[in-house]
Amino acid sequence: MSELVAGLPKHDWSGEFKAIGYRLLAVAAMCIALALVSDAFLTWNNVLNVLRQAALLFLLASGLTLVILTAGLDLSVGANVALSACLAGTVMKATGSPALGAALGLACGTLIGAVNGLLVTKARIPPFIATYGMLWVVHGVTYWYMAGSTVHGFPANFRALGSGYWLGIPIPVYLMFLFLAIGVLFAQRTTWGQEIYAVGANPVAARLSGVPIHRRLVLVYALSGAMAGLASLIFLARLNAAEGDIGESLTLPAIAAVLIGGTSLFGGIGTVGGTLVGALILTLVLNGMNLLALNPNSQPLVTGVIVILAVYLDMLTRKRTRS
Amino acid sequence: MSISGVRATARTDSDVPLFELRNVSKAFPGVQALEGVSFTIHAGEVDMLLGENGAGKSTLMKILCGAYHADSGEFLHHGRPVTIRSPADARALGIAVIFQEFSLVPYLDIAQNIFLGREPRGRFPGTIDHRQMHAEARRLLDTLGVGEDTHALVHTLGVAQQQLVEIAKALSQHARILVLDEPTSALSEHETERLFAVIRRLQADGVAMVYISHRLPEVFLLGDRITVLRDGKGVATVAVSDTTPDELVTLMVGRRVDMQYTREYSTSPGEIVLEAKNLAAVNGIAGVDLTVRAGEIVGLAGLVGAGRTEVARAIFGADRTTEGEVFVLGQARTGGPDRTVRMRVALIPEGRKQQGLAIVRTVTDNLVLASLKRLFPRGWYSPAAAARTAEGNIRALRIATPSARQEVQYLSGGNQQKVVVGKWLNAEAKVYLFDEPTRGIDVGAKAEVFALIDQLVKDGAGVLMISSELSEVVKVCDRAYVMRGFRIAGELVRAELTEANILRLAMHHA
Amino acid sequence: MPEIPRAGPLAPAAASQPARASVRWSRIPGVAYTLAALCVVFALTSKGFLNPTNLANIGMQSTILLLLALPMTLIILTEGIDLSMGAVLTVASVVLAATVVKTGSPVLALGAALAIGAAFGFANGALTAWVAIPPFVVTLGTMGIAQGLALILTDAQSIVGMPESVTWWYGGFLAGIPVPLLVAVAAYLAMHALLYHTRFGTYVFALGGNPDALRLAGVRGDFYLVGVYALGGLMTGFAGLLLTARMSAGHPTAAIGLEFEAIAAVALGGTSFEKGNGWLFGTVLGVLTVGVLRNGLNLLGIPSAVQVAAIGVLVIGALWVDSLRTPG
Repeated sequence: MSELVAGLPKHDWSGEFKAIGYRLLAVAAMCIALALVSDAFLTWNNVLNVLRQAALLFLLASGLTLVILTAGLDLSVGANVALSACLAGTVMKATGSPALGAALGLACGTLIGAVNGLLVTKARIPPFIATYGMLWVVHGVTYWYMAGSTVHGFPANFRALGSGYWLGIPIPVYLMFLFLAIGVLFAQRTTWGQEIYAVGANPVAARLSGVPIHRRLVLVYALSGAMAGLASLIFLARLNAAEGDIGESLTLPAIAAVLIGGTSLFGGIGTVGGTLVGALILTLVLNGMNLLALNPNSQPLVTGVIVILAVYLDMLTRKRTRS
Repeated sequence: MSISGVRATARTDSDVPLFELRNVSKAFPGVQALEGVSFTIHAGEVDMLLGENGAGKSTLMKILCGAYHADSGEFLHHGRPVTIRSPADARALGIAVIFQEFSLVPYLDIAQNIFLGREPRGRFPGTIDHRQMHAEARRLLDTLGVGEDTHALVHTLGVAQQQLVEIAKALSQHARILVLDEPTSALSEHETERLFAVIRRLQADGVAMVYISHRLPEVFLLGDRITVLRDGKGVATVAVSDTTPDELVTLMVGRRVDMQYTREYSTSPGEIVLEAKNLAAVNGIAGVDLTVRAGEIVGLAGLVGAGRTEVARAIFGADRTTEGEVFVLGQARTGGPDRTVRMRVALIPEGRKQQGLAIVRTVTDNLVLASLKRLFPRGWYSPAAAARTAEGNIRALRIATPSARQEVQYLSGGNQQKVVVGKWLNAEAKVYLFDEPTRGIDVGAKAEVFALIDQLVKDGAGVLMISSELSEVVKVCDRAYVMRGFRIAGELVRAELTEANILRLAMHHA
Repeated sequence: MPEIPRAGPLAPAAASQPARASVRWSRIPGVAYTLAALCVVFALTSKGFLNPTNLANIGMQSTILLLLALPMTLIILTEGIDLSMGAVLTVASVVLAATVVKTGSPVLALGAALAIGAAFGFANGALTAWVAIPPFVVTLGTMGIAQGLALILTDAQSIVGMPESVTWWYGGFLAGIPVPLLVAVAAYLAMHALLYHTRFGTYVFALGGNPDALRLAGVRGDFYLVGVYALGGLMTGFAGLLLTARMSAGHPTAAIGLEFEAIAAVALGGTSFEKGNGWLFGTVLGVLTVGVLRNGLNLLGIPSAVQVAAIGVLVIGALWVDSLRTPG
């Protein structure tokens, strides 16, 4: 039997669950607070709205979680969504086939992600610079591709993806749970997932343990791009339109959702489930701001503050456990 | 290595030594680094400091430069008692240490580096008088007989020149005592001669030098006096003319060994599991030939900086090879670490926490990291299966942890090391490369680690063990290679494996 | 970037390189070639490119970017980054416009712009140096904050009606020379003096190249680090004056993303993201390169967003080439 060593803190079996538990409590507390403060909060309409927003944010942030787990960053997700949506939309219109459009949208997102991965591994460009540059490149490509025009009016069966309901619940919410399951499965139940955590926790040790770190890094960036592609389809379906500018303001909230969810910017710690809760928390904050009729322009401001606070908290936690 | 030149006799006879340490002691948790060490420094003299790894030289150096505080003892400067409580105190006393790792800013020039933080002021507040700074720097370099342009950016200089910049920096702060830590370990013969010329000039100027080196020819060429440390104690202080290299070696070995451990040495080792032929790599090693057979523990000894870790890394594929080949179980090893791992080679690196473990991850995570493909061939990871494997490891290796899900950072050093070994046991490695396996592990756990390694070879693996503790190498290994200057200096079979023999080969004294 | 050859295992018993007294101008070839090549290409593809008016235009339009790129050079030299510059520039411009409209005093307005720029800069520096949060996260956050602030203050509307005393700063002339060019030259000279002739500048290189050396030398590196970001904020504030003057209005999303062009200019000019390796005049050349690229593409009728994409491709390409030259 393994020995108990006197004096060592007994490891909390449910450490990760504890972290998520606290955050779920925060969600509950916020819901209660908002319900008390605003009559409009607990309406069916608003609740569905929140869930739908959170779902979209989560889908985008789920892939980003994997990237941040490797101590990386992807600032291009917003632009990725724009290009993928525009590509999907125009192809859909031109060919009349939602399937083809969707496939190309996903492929586009994945390709952008893969390029990010190559820049980080092969060209050894720091992730924040590489993806920041790609942000502008992709943005420009989108603009050139759309040439200032808009594409709109998609077939109803496609629109259902974003605006449809099933059993009274918006479709995106089902997708959210689906990809929660997929994400958790991938991160916790595949060898790839374990390797990704190792790369983030200590890339040197991972490499010396035989993990092909470059291949895994390209994989996570590609996955982040793929999820951006998926999110772009939902976005497209919901808005029923696409133009060069969409999705720009999604990057910061996506990062915030990941960080609030407990994933550490320094790598190796975090969960996809946490990101879901983080997306919920952020969406509730923004929803609350809306309900309280606060200036919608202050949303990026609040998100910015949240990001800084989340990183600060993360650093404090890491420092405490290290000592 | 032959060094030409006449040694300048520059010892100024003065009754009062320039600096004196009396009865200095320093303890760290678990180890008495220095015990009652006395040491005198005379102006214009080169005092050699010799000692095995861990004898206390580095601690003494750090105390001299104010990085550590001595627990007890006296310091006398020109006979007057002083204290050294901070780097500023040391600087005020004129003591400067030239470490092996330089603190130079790569994209500033020589003059800027010399005067970093003490730039001469220009006309307007905050500005720098460049002309004066460069003139001063020029003067300092000339004193040292160094011709480089003071406008040269430091990153363009070779190691030898950077070292001279560090010395100039020390001089600019009016250092009268220079402590040099293995200054020639990275220099060519020509550069070494240049350094010696500089040292002689400084001697003539009355600067005292404390010189740490393992190169006996240098010790006898440059030194006026030699102090030998062993186990934190000053064992002897002799004038260079009064001793011989052999005597020094004898003084240096013979550490008190706390560890109670005996081993049955391997008499009939099996097949060759690891072979390196004429191996050279980007990290500097060259011409390395070695073999390891199943069932034997082969030591890789030598002094710090001799290139042992580099050999292990080159064998593992962590650093790119430039020449030669490595064979594992008869097959050529190519590619990077991921391929090597699949060939069943294990590397237990020197820095456990930095290179061997993901310390925020759990015991289980770390234990299965190198065997994910083997345990989960289809890619589906099962926490239950991983936990079972981990529990097995914990039992077999007696890893002290409250649970298999404990984060590795909370384990003691010895148990962390066991986790690393367990990782490779799970990978069913046949060749183990251990780099300082007992570093930072307390005495009680050391014996356990060796027992573990013994079990590995009993089960048919081959082990290459790097260790800086001579006594360990002698006690544990069946035979050993000794490295010096990034090459293999020699091989010692069991009968020849003594601390003195190792040290002789490591220090270039045949 | 060539790594500093440290003592120890990497250079055993091998003859060292003879010291090449390398001058800081060794990076001229890279960006100068790029600039020259672009000029040639655009001269061939657009008739109007080499027109003196057009060239003067490039110069004029590069001035605001230069005001951002100069302090960005220092920030990147310390191994940092400031992603918030574009947003802070926007806020400063808007604050200036609003103050002028409310108080009628351009002096007060400039003061307000400088104050808000410096405040953001100080916050960036403080969080980076004292709380030790990585600069790209800090400035990502403050970018959002500044963006939000700009939108809130203006209610997403432009603030128009700038008096002559403000627009003179972009459209006016002093001794026959356009004011922004004078500002740009003055800014460059000041930064050059700061970087190469003061202790502050020396320590900037040290912060990126070897902060431990600074610490050992007894210098409070953290103060200087805060100062670098604060300086960036201050200059961004001043650039707000030029921006408002140029647009004759305070527009709440005017300069969003301009930090990217500033970073591009710095990177193209030869300053690397690590180790304190950089060159101020290179940034000037980098700014001109960006300006030429934009102008040339503009003449070809290519929209602004695509121009920025081209900058992105250029920078990524330059960084990739750089990585090929340094051994892994």
